[in-house]
Amino acid sequence: MKKVLLPLMLIFSAVTAMAQTADEIIDKHIAAIGGKEKWLKVKSVQMEGTVNVMGREVGVKVTNVHNIGSRQDISVAGMTGYAIVTPTNGWQFMPFQGQTKPEPLPADAVKASLDDLDLQGNFIDYKAKGHTVEYLGTEDIEGTECHKLKVTRKNSGDQTVFIDAETFYVIRTSTKINMNGQEIETKTDMSDYRDVNGIKLAFSITQPFGTVVMTSVKVNESVDEKIFADPTK
Amino acid sequence: MKKLLTALLCVPATLSMAQTKINSATFGMMEARWLGPGTMSGRITAIQGVNNEPKTIYIGTAGGGVWKTTNSGASFKPIFDKYCQSIGAVAVDQKNPKVIFVGTGESNMRNSVSIGNGLYKTTDAGDNWTKVGGLDSTEHIAEIVINPKNSNEVYVAAPGPLWSDSKHRGLYKSEDGGKTFKQVLYISEKAGAADVAIDPENPNVVYATTWEFRRKPYSFNSGGPGGGIWKSLDGGKNWRRIQSGLPQGLIGRVALAMAPSSPKNLVAIAELENNKTGLYISDDGGENWKAQSASLNVVSRPFYFACIEVDPKDPKRVYRPAFSFAYSVDGGYSFAEASSEGGWVHSDHHALWINPNATNELWLGTDGGVYLSLDKGATWSFKGNLPVGQFYHVAVDNANPYRIYGGLQDNGSWVAPSAAPGGVSNAVWQDVYGGDGFWTVPDAKDPNICFAEYQGGNMARVNLTNGKAVAIQPQKGPGDEDLRWNWNTPLYVGTYTGALYCGAQYVYRSTDQGRNWTRISPDLTTNDKNKQKQEESGGLSADNTSAENHCTVFTIAESPVDGNMIWAGTDDGNLQYTLDGGKTWTNVAANYAAAGIPAQTWVSSIEPSGFDKNVVYATFDNHMYGDHKTYVARSNDMGKTWTLLKGSEAMEGFAHKIKEDLKNKDLLFAGTEMGLYCSTNGGKEWFRMKNNIPWYALVRDIAIHPTKHDLVLGTHGRGVIVVDDISPIRNMTEDVAAKDIVLLKPEKLTLRDGQFGGGGFPGTGGWNGGNPPSIQPIKYYLKDRVSSGDVKVEIVDKDGKLVQSIPATKRKGINMVTWNLRGTPPKMAEGGVKLDFGAFTAPMVLPGEYTVKLVVGDKVVTEQITVVHDEKGDMTLEERKQQYDAAMKLFNMQEELAALVDTISKTQEKLKGNIEKLQNKKNRQAAQEYYDKLEELRGKLMATKNKSMFADEKRLKEEISEVYTAVAGNEAAPSNMQIQRIDLLKQDLQKQDGATKAVMQQYHQKVMQAFEKEKIYLGPKLKVSGAGTSG
Repeated sequence: MKKVLLPLMLIFSAVTAMAQTADEIIDKHIAAIGGKEKWLKVKSVQMEGTVNVMGREVGVKVTNVHNIGSRQDISVAGMTGYAIVTPTNGWQFMPFQGQTKPEPLPADAVKASLDDLDLQGNFIDYKAKGHTVEYLGTEDIEGTECHKLKVTRKNSGDQTVFIDAETFYVIRTSTKINMNGQEIETKTDMSDYRDVNGIKLAFSITQPFGTVVMTSVKVNESVDEKIFADPTK
Repeated sequence: MKKLLTALLCVPATLSMAQTKINSATFGMMEARWLGPGTMSGRITAIQGVNNEPKTIYIGTAGGGVWKTTNSGASFKPIFDKYCQSIGAVAVDQKNPKVIFVGTGESNMRNSVSIGNGLYKTTDAGDNWTKVGGLDSTEHIAEIVINPKNSNEVYVAAPGPLWSDSKHRGLYKSEDGGKTFKQVLYISEKAGAADVAIDPENPNVVYATTWEFRRKPYSFNSGGPGGGIWKSLDGGKNWRRIQSGLPQGLIGRVALAMAPSSPKNLVAIAELENNKTGLYISDDGGENWKAQSASLNVVSRPFYFACIEVDPKDPKRVYRPAFSFAYSVDGGYSFAEASSEGGWVHSDHHALWINPNATNELWLGTDGGVYLSLDKGATWSFKGNLPVGQFYHVAVDNANPYRIYGGLQDNGSWVAPSAAPGGVSNAVWQDVYGGDGFWTVPDAKDPNICFAEYQGGNMARVNLTNGKAVAIQPQKGPGDEDLRWNWNTPLYVGTYTGALYCGAQYVYRSTDQGRNWTRISPDLTTNDKNKQKQEESGGLSADNTSAENHCTVFTIAESPVDGNMIWAGTDDGNLQYTLDGGKTWTNVAANYAAAGIPAQTWVSSIEPSGFDKNVVYATFDNHMYGDHKTYVARSNDMGKTWTLLKGSEAMEGFAHKIKEDLKNKDLLFAGTEMGLYCSTNGGKEWFRMKNNIPWYALVRDIAIHPTKHDLVLGTHGRGVIVVDDISPIRNMTEDVAAKDIVLLKPEKLTLRDGQFGGGGFPGTGGWNGGNPPSIQPIKYYLKDRVSSGDVKVEIVDKDGKLVQSIPATKRKGINMVTWNLRGTPPKMAEGGVKLDFGAFTAPMVLPGEYTVKLVVGDKVVTEQITVVHDEKGDMTLEERKQQYDAAMKLFNMQEELAALVDTISKTQEKLKGNIEKLQNKKNRQAAQEYYDKLEELRGKLMATKNKSMFADEKRLKEEISEVYTAVAGNEAAPSNMQIQRIDLLKQDLQKQDGATKAVMQQYHQKVMQAFEKEKIYLGPKLKVSGAGTSG
């Protein structure tokens, strides 16, 4: 008995003592969401969903083309508005907030979105993309053990990413962006990962304003890039 | 090998089959609210700004961790909530300001000072912290300095333990950026380092001061042979005393400052023997000293006021933050009070940061928060947004909303409602008594009366309606010894009888609000005369403020089940009870000692069980003898035998309070100097409560509200913290926790729109602790976080109709979702140009039975929920029905209108772009006419031209919405005029409906046929009202 116990304990202590590196965790994460090969083929993602605001469903449509543009259309109580971001510009038209015509986004906001236009994710080939990643150990996020990675992104704000230690899905990101000289932190929770064309995407995304529940997600279907054009012209 | 592998693989399975452990995560979303307030804030111990980004400032506090502002104090965030909350020093590496060191364990060595557990470092400006350096046993850190030319060199001045001898004190130096430290200046087990400074021009020149000091529970000594001022010329390797010019004799605490613009100029406030304490200066790097000012503010309480700073640009301008704020323009020869106008600044100052780029800007840390001056201290503005008050005790009453009472270190006694319109803000806190506040308790019967006290038993009856106080302290009677009142004298209202109790060495009881008292005990203490020499306390400087009073009663508790059973615990280890209302007392001190609790320990709290007279809990605090262990104990036989409630994981921090739940006898809460612990199995196992409670909060007192079921914590550094409605904790068992999904039986919900109105513009500034939920949330338990599938709650009425579908959270543990007691808002017409609040308003449901359906992925769990009319509300049930009917009429009209607009828009959509295709000119004209008429109709039904959000455009949709939101959104029956208006709008809607039908009748078939004739396909046929199916 003693003989069995000893190697067991040794192995266990070896396992726990073996510090995971950022790269190992990233590799496992990428594998968990479909693998690098499949992700490198992602060129567009179109998502439709709803947010519930006081019992009223608000429609959200997100159309992303890899490194070309991102457009969100929001429909609230019979009105529609949108926000467009491209690598160099951005605009928004939110009539529910009283806007009567599209307005350009400040440069800060465009820059803060730049790395998010990378649909294949900041983790794939992160070094080549100019990001750095630091492993900060594990942390309990609302009762779920997570690996904590600090991602210093090339263009946009630094991100702390929490990866479920069991599923290796990202369950939370916390992004710091700089607006008007102030650091603003935005927390995003992700869940309900589902398979779409071999890759795993979160169908439920929670930000401070509410949770977007996706009703349809399409990958690599063609998108008319005119939707990212300057709407003020 | 194969066998081994199999064994290995089996292990995780066994682990997962083990019982689900109840811990903080089990209670998921039950997150505490921080009530603060910020109005009196609390003791600030360290302030450090970032020189190149001076809007970024780090604030270290006595018991509230570290707070950071990046906007000169417009807002602060706590950045140290998982670590020890007592902060001694903060240092920013100005070469790389993302690197910050925090030394835990405040070094303002007053009786109530907390204890630290080492040094922490961040390399990302406070997002992540690591304990470094192996300084865990220093207990107190006074100063950290980083070599400005070499960030790897860090010095830490550690006075070391206050209550015991220790080798872990002195000056420490790191040469590897804080990873490891070497003790470079060590004096003795009794004397540590109190200050350190580096010459910025020649960083090998280092100055340090050493201090010999000791507290006992009944005395304090500052000063001894270990004290002195030291200098090293080789980066800390070799040291020599530099005291030439100082008077001979013992040295106490020395506060040292160097003029940054002229580093050979030093100022030191030295506590010295024979009344020689004063400010001394040197202009030759400490080689020779010269006496300067010894004004009151310079010499006052050297052990407590160890702060002196020199203006970064002007070597002659010296600041002395102490009892008050004084400045000198002649290098310390003379001082004057700096503050002239601009309001009161809290006395007792411990920290000052001067912006080196703009030396007019001063940040001052006091016993009552942070102040900012932009004119070198002449005027100050208070930062009311730091909720770091140091409560000693907390109590609740039965008002609605209930009020919270508590007394704070150096900040008097306060009362606030637990809920208020707009949230519990600074403004709703009422100051009821002065001095250092301790027990502040409501009278059992009279809602206008509370009792409060300041240090040394100076107690009063306070009329809450006008703030007037009457002193009620019992007096020495015939044959009594001089009364000995603890610093923190127990002042207590009996849970059974409602009588008022207090204790000196005797216990007193009053049944008439303190007007008359009866002594109901003999001296319950050890009455050890050796522990009663407080007049000799202080060391080199006399200091006897009742803080060292000893051999006193410290805690009193009446049994909730028997008014004649009273327990009293003393600060010198006696634990006594009476079963006859005080005629005879039994001392059980020897009995608890048998359970391994040291004798002469402070009995910090006693909790006679509310379920069984024989059961009693107590906490014991032995930290004043250098022992920090957590002693929480229970006796099942009225104190004859005791069991330590240890649990399998070590609790941290000496114990202040044990609280038994009012409903579940197995649910216990324990407050220690380092956190809140909870046990759901009668103390067998404990877990740290983290639910938005700073993990190491100094939890001094705990109350549970009898009807609201809130857990109310009095913390010594984070103000009042409330966990709303702990029922889910009460009902949690290991069996429940083992289930995948549990929908907790919902409470009966009363129909009302919350407790308070919405108010207008929100108040800004200060701290706001928010409100408890105004509608009780629906609660459910998830064993694990849901990572695939959606989670929602559906409310279904008795006919099976979906009332509302509510998105729900997926956290591990208890989740909460609020049903606003309403249905789903009406469908609104598409294509509007203004946000219509009617689109977010649904009528409140009628009383009755509803079903709550919790949907988790493909699993569904249901419970019934009863919704009842608010009998105490502003309307009758009949009126509620009238309101519902009126609201539903408008709701239906809005949906009818939406359908009408939908028909119009869809028809227009078909026409649009196709009209020009018609070859026949007449038909083309007709089609265009049709389109334009429809647009005209649409423009009458709803606002279609958005000129500006400030330009009102009201059409039928907006008019219906206006009445609808007024009727459905108010808690009132509809008025006669609203009802009349509904009929008028109904007529308008019918008229528009008629007009639409008429237009469609006139044009639709004709126009559609024209398209058909020319073979222009318009898509699938539309069902058009008034025109049959066509097109």
